[in-house]
Amino acid sequence: MTQTRVLADVSGSVWKIEAAPGDQVAEGDTILLLESMKMEIPVPAPHAGRIAAILVEPEQAVTEGDAVALIER
Amino acid sequence: MTDMPAPDAAPDASSGDTSIWAPELAELRRRQALAEQMGGPDKVARQHAGGRMTVRERIDALIDPGSFHEIGATAGRAEYDDAGNLVTLTPSNCVMGRARIDGRPVVVVGDDFTVRGGSADATIFQKPLMAERMAGEWRLPIIRVIEGSGGGGSVKTIETTGRANLPGGVPSGIAFHHVTHTLGLVPVVALGLGSVAGLGAARLASSHYSVMTKSSAMFVAGPPVVARMNPQRNAVEMDKQTLGGWEVQTRAGAVDHAAEDEADAFACARRFLSYLPPSVFDLPPRGARDDDPARADDALRNAIPRDVRKVYRMRPIIDSVVDRGSFFEMGRNFGRSVITGLARLDGWPVALMAGDPYHYGGAWTAEAAQKVVRFVDLAETFHLPVVYLVDCPGFLIGAEAERSALIRHGVRALAAVNQCTQPWCTVIVRNCFGVAGAVHQPASRLSLRYGWVSARWGSLPLEGGIEAAYRADLDAAPDPAAKLREIEERLTKLRSPFRTAETFWIEEIIDPAATRGLLCEFANLAAPLRTPGAPRFAPRP
Repeated sequence: MTQTRVLADVSGSVWKIEAAPGDQVAEGDTILLLESMKMEIPVPAPHAGRIAAILVEPEQAVTEGDAVALIER
Repeated sequence: MTDMPAPDAAPDASSGDTSIWAPELAELRRRQALAEQMGGPDKVARQHAGGRMTVRERIDALIDPGSFHEIGATAGRAEYDDAGNLVTLTPSNCVMGRARIDGRPVVVVGDDFTVRGGSADATIFQKPLMAERMAGEWRLPIIRVIEGSGGGGSVKTIETTGRANLPGGVPSGIAFHHVTHTLGLVPVVALGLGSVAGLGAARLASSHYSVMTKSSAMFVAGPPVVARMNPQRNAVEMDKQTLGGWEVQTRAGAVDHAAEDEADAFACARRFLSYLPPSVFDLPPRGARDDDPARADDALRNAIPRDVRKVYRMRPIIDSVVDRGSFFEMGRNFGRSVITGLARLDGWPVALMAGDPYHYGGAWTAEAAQKVVRFVDLAETFHLPVVYLVDCPGFLIGAEAERSALIRHGVRALAAVNQCTQPWCTVIVRNCFGVAGAVHQPASRLSLRYGWVSARWGSLPLEGGIEAAYRADLDAAPDPAAKLREIEERLTKLRSPFRTAETFWIEEIIDPAATRGLLCEFANLAAPLRTPGAPRFAPRP
């Protein structure tokens, strides 16, 4: 089983978390939404798998390149 | 026809050749055969074991079958016996010549890693130099197939030459002139295959379009050198991929594209060239006209969400409006708030830019601005009309943006667009705000411009500024939240693009479904305006 770090593509704050640890997701499913430049920017699953961890909380500030979740397959 | 004179030399019995120059022809063939062996069977086997083709296999896979005319194959280091007879010949580690790609002549120059790892120790530097000169002076696109140090020196080189090389000194300095001068004359494609360092990295980056495979790495200096220079910070030597793998280099913008494998890299090179003229003295060739220029896509009416906080995918919009399957994206991993690539409209090649709301809502970063400069310069150099699908809420704001000198890079992009003399068509699909929004067409020339019904614009987005601008009114209101909503509603009505069109500040508001038809009309109007010739200044890599 390999774990992938899901990275924030943009700096911003965590707007909404849509997936929970244990959830099965398909590639492209939205794991969480970041708010950046007053817009809601989805962070999609880079591949299908199971969410191992969500590493951020709502309203937390994130920087481009930060890991926001772990996904395993 | 006259009779041939009788041979005055012994005929070469082994080849059955009875001609006058049979011994010399045999020696020529022998020398050519030795050159074909490159660094020898062991080195070739090692290259293959690493999952990489030899330079000759690469060239064959890149070009039209059988079209390679090699130049200087037998240049190299020869060994002779005491009687002065050739024993062996190790070719120079640069293989170059003319070839054809899609029937069009090109120059190909490749590093042979099986001979001294491609380094200067086995280079005859006049060979790559001639390839660059031939491309520029004979107006042929050039493809550099790069591996190793690209003909650059190694630390050991000083022992073979017996003296220290002055970089850019006499006589090799001219090579640096050609590597950059060529950019203003012909398309330059560079492929990094394997580990690419030093001069090789410079030759890779100094191109209009650079590709590396996902198993390759590119750096100024490799891991061992880096580790030794920074003993504290890099006590553990990092691997090549961590230092300069495709994820690093395509995100940093030093390399444009990461290919799955070498065959994919060659396909990318061929496709890139298909949109371009052979040189600045010619025009981009029209491709197949196999998609209805009037094709209207009703799905575009649902492409942009009404909720301005929601993003949407720009690439399907691009695919819908250009000739089917013709969009060729370049630099996808770098400066991602702007999508750039080549496409065709009713067969005519164009340079296409578009905002990507998935990255900072389409706001321009310093990287995005750098990407725009390089891309618009490419369009200017090769006479490509420009199409820009605008969704730009302005420059990115914040401390990170300030530290990146965003405004410097932003005004450079403004300058590049304003200096562009190619026909230009702008379609504002959603946001167009601030100075970055103003960079949506060259400011001094007449361009075609359309706004979708979903377009919104202003000096700055209302969302960012209402509280600040109306602070006094809000503070004085008994219910500030209600007052804010009231102000927002009032301003939102004023923001309708139809009001802007009343005053003719925008020429036309259009049905998104009509976009392809208007873009194809633009491409057909633009085609006769394209003017071959050298650009006023050569683009910088």
